[in-house]
Amino acid sequence: MIKKIDKQLESQPKEVVFCKRCVVSNQRPRTFIDQEGVCSACRWADMKKKIDWASREKELRALCDEHRSKDGKFDVVIPGSGGKDSGHTAHLLKTKYGMHPLCVTWAPFIYTDIGWKNFQNFVNSGFTTLNCFPNGVLHKKLTRAAFELKGDAWEPFAYGQKAYAFHIAVKFGIPLIFYGENGEVEYSGFLKNADKPYESPDDWDELYFKGSGVDALLKQGLKMGIFSEEETKDSALDLYRPPKREDIERLGAQMHWLSYYHNWIPQENFYYAQKHTGFTANEEGRSEGTYSKYASLDDKTDGFHFYLGYIKFGLGRATRDAMMEIRSGHITREEAVALVKRYDGEFPKKYFKDFLEYLDITKEHFWEVVDSYRPSHLWEKINGEWKLKHQVS
Amino acid sequence: MLDSKNMGNHRIAIIDYGLSNLYSISKALGRFTDNVFITDELSGLNSADAVVLPGVGAFEEGMKGLEARGLTEGIKKFAISGRPILGICLGAQLLLSKGYEFGVFDGLDLIKGEVVKFPEAVKEKIPHIGWNEIYPPESGQWNKTIFDFSGKKANMYFIHSYIMKPEKSENILALTSYAGFEFCSAIRQKNIYGCQFHPEKSAEQGLGIIKNFVGLV
Amino acid sequence: MKNIRVIPLLHIKGPNVVKPVQTEALRIVGDPKELAEKYYQDGADEIIYLDIVASLYQRSFDFDLLKSVSRDIFVPFTVGGGIRTIQDIKNALRVGADKVAVNTHAIKNPDFLKEAARVFGSQCVVLFVEAKKIEEGKWEAYTDGGREKTGLDAVEWAKRGVDLGVGEILITSIDRDGTQKGYESELVSAITSWAPISVIAHGGAGDFQTAEDVILRNKADAIALSSSFHYKNFSVKELKERLFSKGIDVRL
Repeated sequence: MIKKIDKQLESQPKEVVFCKRCVVSNQRPRTFIDQEGVCSACRWADMKKKIDWASREKELRALCDEHRSKDGKFDVVIPGSGGKDSGHTAHLLKTKYGMHPLCVTWAPFIYTDIGWKNFQNFVNSGFTTLNCFPNGVLHKKLTRAAFELKGDAWEPFAYGQKAYAFHIAVKFGIPLIFYGENGEVEYSGFLKNADKPYESPDDWDELYFKGSGVDALLKQGLKMGIFSEEETKDSALDLYRPPKREDIERLGAQMHWLSYYHNWIPQENFYYAQKHTGFTANEEGRSEGTYSKYASLDDKTDGFHFYLGYIKFGLGRATRDAMMEIRSGHITREEAVALVKRYDGEFPKKYFKDFLEYLDITKEHFWEVVDSYRPSHLWEKINGEWKLKHQVS
Repeated sequence: MLDSKNMGNHRIAIIDYGLSNLYSISKALGRFTDNVFITDELSGLNSADAVVLPGVGAFEEGMKGLEARGLTEGIKKFAISGRPILGICLGAQLLLSKGYEFGVFDGLDLIKGEVVKFPEAVKEKIPHIGWNEIYPPESGQWNKTIFDFSGKKANMYFIHSYIMKPEKSENILALTSYAGFEFCSAIRQKNIYGCQFHPEKSAEQGLGIIKNFVGLV
Repeated sequence: MKNIRVIPLLHIKGPNVVKPVQTEALRIVGDPKELAEKYYQDGADEIIYLDIVASLYQRSFDFDLLKSVSRDIFVPFTVGGGIRTIQDIKNALRVGADKVAVNTHAIKNPDFLKEAARVFGSQCVVLFVEAKKIEEGKWEAYTDGGREKTGLDAVEWAKRGVDLGVGEILITSIDRDGTQKGYESELVSAITSWAPISVIAHGGAGDFQTAEDVILRNKADAIALSSSFHYKNFSVKELKERLFSKGIDVRL
């Protein structure tokens, strides 16, 4: 029996409560439903309405003034995929705030055609981008370990997504790093860093890595025989961890979120990126598991990240897209419920074969692992089929 | 807009025979009078001072719709009584004797003539959809009719595949040219008017015709 | 030359006019009644009014809103979005529609087109095709507001629609929608080159030149525009005057 190391599962409430205003439930980690039945992310959306964006913008200007290079050298590191969010961030900082971005991409596991196209369009709209492809053998093993141990093959992507920007910042001597949005605040309403434009790498484990980073994976993976001793010492693994604390401090490297300075509306990022950085919506129509065409398009394995979320929390990709759109005022709760009912939990079959091959597992083993992550307080078997006990309505 | 929407007791009935865009014609009439009502009953028809027969649909369906409501004889009698009738598009076509859409069917026969398809020789697309000019036939004129456009070119909205062919040229009130082919775009026999086009859909000029029709009542 | 119609197209979601790009996203650009009336006053030849989420959300068309929007407008309304039954069409005609545009339900059940044309006449039925380019000369038809693949060849589907009795084809380019990069000329030509019925081009307008070209070169019988009007690139009047100056027969 594999010992799972997803700490989030330990604190999952046994009673399911849905938010009265959006479609998320208390099962989502770090999302809380208050006494009035409203979730923390919706409350955050309310709070956002009171923010003095003009004054935040002034702060942004001051920050940019402070960091803008006088000789045109790179003065800000912008991590991203070339999608709508990073496209918007990079283009905005460059054109409106006169910065000189060095963009960095931590490559998706398996590029989709549209992801690669959008990436190239982004680069060709005028952005130097370093795209890092970590050692494929190692990456796949980490992914396999993450899938088994955390029920989320996607996590090694998250490690690099967070760390790579810092490595490049340190190597190039660029202290300013700009991310798009503080996902924890925007999508969970977990307000730990809501009043700040930045977080420290100390927060990563808790907020993004389900309680533990790459080293925990390696330790367990070694025990399971996924890694050899030698592999666990591969220097590529440094890229999955932040640089040394003293290097970060010496540089004064700090990451900022654009969402602190600008009212973050993903839909508007889409319009913006479509106009300015050649971003194109999904060319196959809606993404599997949801109704949207503009979010998370670049990785063939993405669908499984969302699908495992659906298994663990009863909340799939459609829920994720819909809850955001409710809070931004684009759709009503009723409309969202219809969409969630229609699409949430749809199995991402298009790239199933690719996913199995990437992880080097069989279909049977895939389902074994998936089923082992089904909490009994959320799922029941009816006529041989798994059904969610609770659905939003 | 007329100075007053109060036309006294003069009631205009819009015949509902199951298919048409009643809302459009009633709101167009409603611009000039409050005394408009929709009816699918003989009693309603008989109580009216003027009748509008609107039209979206196929000839056979149209006639069936009238028959099912027992209105065909009623309309014929209404016409004989001299009270004004305005047929629009299908409604105008039904005023004639026979229609040839998807078969051969009898019309109301209030004005002698047939409803036929645009001839094969017409090189433009059928249905005829769009705006087009209406003009009086050479021997005709528009004084004392409900068509009066202060000397300006009159553009109306057409959407039809079948055209009216009144037997007598004196019943031709207006002509229109499509792909070089001239056809009858409006008919008239005393108190009976029929427009192939949709005056209620032809912006201000079309509304002018509606206004003048209301003025007849 | 025959009359070419200039038609503002309103994407409706709930009480608002929205403007998607590549059929995604729902930015609010105005109030349906205000915009429709403005375009009417400005000389619009028709109005196209599409509820772009009815099929996606699997809900019905809002007839009350249509009634209010069309109240003071006296040019034809083509109405679509979630039209699924003969009764839906009847209801639409009773509150201001003159024609109905059908996409999703027609693809699911093509005989619906035949039935609708039989009951209401071909001229009442518009086939609304959302087309996405697959490769040179090939497009796929989509439903549910450009979100669901159908596997159908868009051009072949349009041909089938004609056989079933539709009166017009409204062809929209998913790729160009909202981009203002110009109509997708190959797509429009791919329909107009054989269609015996009127073809309304939509998706991508943006400037005068593309409007002229799609009429003169690609033989569109009518042009529909959204972003160009909503974002005020030019007015309906200005466009028509410009087209007229190029020898195109438009109502002024």
